[in-house]
Amino acid sequence: MIVIEAIHLKKTFRHRNRIVEAVKDVSLDISKGEIFALLGPNGAGKTTTMRMLSTLIPIDEGQAYVAGYNVKTQSNMVRKHIGYVGQLGGSDPNATGWENLILAGRLYGLDRDTVKTEAKKLMDILELNEIIDRMPKTYSQGQKRRLELALGLIHRPDVLFLDEPTTGLDPDSRYNIWGYVEKLRAEGMTILLTTHYLEEADELANNLAIMDHGEIIAKGSPQELKNQISGDVIMVRSKCQRDQLENILSLINILENKDKALIRECLIKGETIYIYVDQGSAALPIILDIFKKQEINIDDISLSQPSLDDVFLKQTGRRLQDTGKE
Amino acid sequence: MKLFLEIALLFKRKALETIRQPVWIISGLITPLLYLIFFGPLLKGLNIADDNVLNLFLPGILSLLAFGSGMGAGWGVVWELQSGVIERFRVMPISRFSLMFGPVLRDVIIFIIQALFVILIGSIFGFDIHWAGSAVMLLLLSMMTAIISAWSASLGLIFQNIESLAAVVTGLQLPLTLLSGAMLPISVGPKWLQIIAHINPLYYTVEASRTLAKGTINSSAVLYAFLIIVPLTVLVLGWAAQVYRKAIS
Repeated sequence: MIVIEAIHLKKTFRHRNRIVEAVKDVSLDISKGEIFALLGPNGAGKTTTMRMLSTLIPIDEGQAYVAGYNVKTQSNMVRKHIGYVGQLGGSDPNATGWENLILAGRLYGLDRDTVKTEAKKLMDILELNEIIDRMPKTYSQGQKRRLELALGLIHRPDVLFLDEPTTGLDPDSRYNIWGYVEKLRAEGMTILLTTHYLEEADELANNLAIMDHGEIIAKGSPQELKNQISGDVIMVRSKCQRDQLENILSLINILENKDKALIRECLIKGETIYIYVDQGSAALPIILDIFKKQEINIDDISLSQPSLDDVFLKQTGRRLQDTGKE
Repeated sequence: MKLFLEIALLFKRKALETIRQPVWIISGLITPLLYLIFFGPLLKGLNIADDNVLNLFLPGILSLLAFGSGMGAGWGVVWELQSGVIERFRVMPISRFSLMFGPVLRDVIIFIIQALFVILIGSIFGFDIHWAGSAVMLLLLSMMTAIISAWSASLGLIFQNIESLAAVVTGLQLPLTLLSGAMLPISVGPKWLQIIAHINPLYYTVEASRTLAKGTINSSAVLYAFLIIVPLTVLVLGWAAQVYRKAIS
């Protein structure tokens, strides 16, 4: 059953008299009980896509259906069935955690008794009992995020939107949040999250779409995407001259032309050569040999399974980890 | 029914916020009291009123208080945009009118409490209280507070930053106040000033407030003020709800 469906969504913003195409063409099908991640660098259009699907901003072009309702024409019905935890969080810093929860539940239309029962359940699950009587302005980032998750869940939504759920959290809190999200999915909730963390999409998502410049550049399960780059990745970093590195690249390219089974693809990014090979153990000695013959020092070498970053690199020529810092 | 519940819940949230920061209620009271104590006595020497100058001056001060009580709304909105509170409320299945009106109602109630306090203090200094007239006056001024509060909040949503908001709101505050005749009746001024003052809605509320404070409810000044302020309230509140409905990027 498809719970979130987006059909050719488009959104343009006017920013200082410049027209920015934040989302150019995004189509998604997300099934019930699935964790779906939108992965991409800042400014890729992930948040804009999510804000359109959650009725926060109007859809310029295209259609969207969430929980069986048309986002454009039945926004209030959509709102009833979704929970949304934004990047900013949105807990009221000047009311206690308890007051925040109760108010949210009451505004979602729960009666006084139901809201109290639900709040207590969530406090147990999200480990809020000790902090619930304090105001969020006294919370740590991790505590605050847990309360905000509870605020988005108080009405037991069918669909949960999480915008960068673990940004700014320490590793421990991040794993905790992953655990909660996994639990919610196991209970049948459909979850759409945005992230620029590779591991988050890799660990958590059943399916994901990699976005860049307002478009989806790859879609599938993490394994499917990584399988596009079958074999291993050899990364060799050397602080030598750029032309020396390019010389190496051309030598490897010759090998690639000779034996496609040995070396599939090869590219330079910064000081590093990325070599995609079928079998690392077979290719590694040959690569080392090339460097040795050219008398070029290797500063760093590694052999690994392809990651989602390699998928991103292959599609865009950039590394996701670098673009995030731009 | 649902609308009233939403408004009540959102009003309670903002009211609690105020109760926890009582310094704002007190600082809001200080300005009118300072005017009353340090500016009021100066008027006695000016011979602008036949009998008790405070009966003329106190309604003006209350009008300023009504104006000031609503002005800060936009600051709160910008703050809550930054913390994501407004965004969180906007994805809820609640009316955009309640979202806008809850905080407005808080400003109105706080104004009424402060105004009653100023009236009581004023009576110690010699202001003659006419309760019926004063009640109608507070109703009129409450609408003024609601207009200003909804307007300021909407500007906060539109600009989304303190700088632009402050420039517009405080930039308009002084001319609107001066042209309202809140400090001294416009009628003591030249004809051209009186003509300009007529485009300022605040002018009508000040004029009506003076009449009402004297206990005269049935007068043309009061009628004009309500004829202007009631539609203006509907218009501004409707517009403000529309701003909440619209996109915030």
